[in-house]
Amino acid sequence: MKPASFDYFDPARAEEALSLLARYGDDAKLLAGGQSLIPLMNFRLARPKVVIDINRIEALDYIREEDGFLRIGALTRDRSVETSPRVRQKCPFLARASSLVGHLQIRNRSTIGGASAQADPAGEVIAALKGLEAIFVIQSQNGERTERAEDFFVTYLTTTLDPTEMIAEVRAPVQPPGMKFAFEEVARRHGDFAICGVGVNVLLDASGKVERASICLCGAGPTPLRAPAAEAMLAGEKPDEKLLRAAGEKAAEEADPDEDLHATAEYRRELVRVLTRRALEKALGA
Amino acid sequence: MKLQGTHRFQAGLQAVWDLLMDADALAAAIPGCQRLAETGPGAYEALLRVGVAPVKGEFSGSVKMEDLNPPQSYRLIVEGSGGPGFLKGTARVRLEPEGESTVLSVDADVQVGGVLAGVGQRMLGGVAKLLMGQFFKALEGQLARRG
Repeated sequence: MKPASFDYFDPARAEEALSLLARYGDDAKLLAGGQSLIPLMNFRLARPKVVIDINRIEALDYIREEDGFLRIGALTRDRSVETSPRVRQKCPFLARASSLVGHLQIRNRSTIGGASAQADPAGEVIAALKGLEAIFVIQSQNGERTERAEDFFVTYLTTTLDPTEMIAEVRAPVQPPGMKFAFEEVARRHGDFAICGVGVNVLLDASGKVERASICLCGAGPTPLRAPAAEAMLAGEKPDEKLLRAAGEKAAEEADPDEDLHATAEYRRELVRVLTRRALEKALGA
Repeated sequence: MKLQGTHRFQAGLQAVWDLLMDADALAAAIPGCQRLAETGPGAYEALLRVGVAPVKGEFSGSVKMEDLNPPQSYRLIVEGSGGPGFLKGTARVRLEPEGESTVLSVDADVQVGGVLAGVGQRMLGGVAKLLMGQFFKALEGQLARRG
């Protein structure tokens, strides 16, 4: 099928894109990687009257480091984040999450900003951003605001962005060198959307006890989730098999999964239980 | 697809029942409802423009109420179709008093087909839950306004 007709703009500067968004608002959709939008348009499930193609805005494609944060332009491709030496050194968890997105060909186009705006609850990158307590920098013609990942995702495919706003940058905290991490997921075929995935970040203190831990879930609810009760269980403890199992059980209780053709809610909860334990084992075993 | 939802209304049994039988109240509460017209006793024709994020579709269809057991329960037969797909299903609606409040429970069995069902499979259940929640919230608002 082909998309319904639409007006097309391809601004070269962010200011132009923002001006177009201000003008067309709800009638417009931004086109970045297009890996979610184009199929929806081809099926005519989405019929934006206006498409604002931002792929020419090179100024939004960058990876920098400033004040303890990796500052990643919204148009940066998942493949760039995955392979960037700076990301691999300063925030390898994000590189790992990015590597799990679909297939290589998808990652060559899909962007960190696009994934964030799309807010697909199965997304690995947005789960990771939530686990990292990342910050979004959001622009509109009226100015700029920042929002924490924890507040940004509202429900299925819905964020706090209003129709005139655009994500400009994603800020992920530089990780302490001792931070242990892992991201485990289950998908029926390589490259499919994850049925469920769990990402963990664990920092041990000098005595081997957990100083802090972060557990994030994808495919376990209407948005990417954290598992704060499971995290609290780990804090201050020396991780052993019993503790990791208990954390998995707790994380499964905190999940709010749906049922669909691919998996029942019960199975998804089971995946959270098992993958949390596996991810923790992998992270700590490293 | 099986759908379930419950909601506790801060109102008495009769008030909630009357609201559910009021076509204007329903039209205002159903997400995206453009038109709800009575075509016969307990039968309605509806036009909905509804969706989540970029996915929006226009659906036209019919709703029939059967097995009316006022003020406790009834059955809804729903049939609708639009560009993105179609749906067909039945829902059992039950009202139970709980002190000063009323608990409404919906138990539905829905067949969804077309592009929306195929491409949107991963999120269909969740979005249905979301829309049902919006509907309940809107009904709440109506009850509050009726005082």
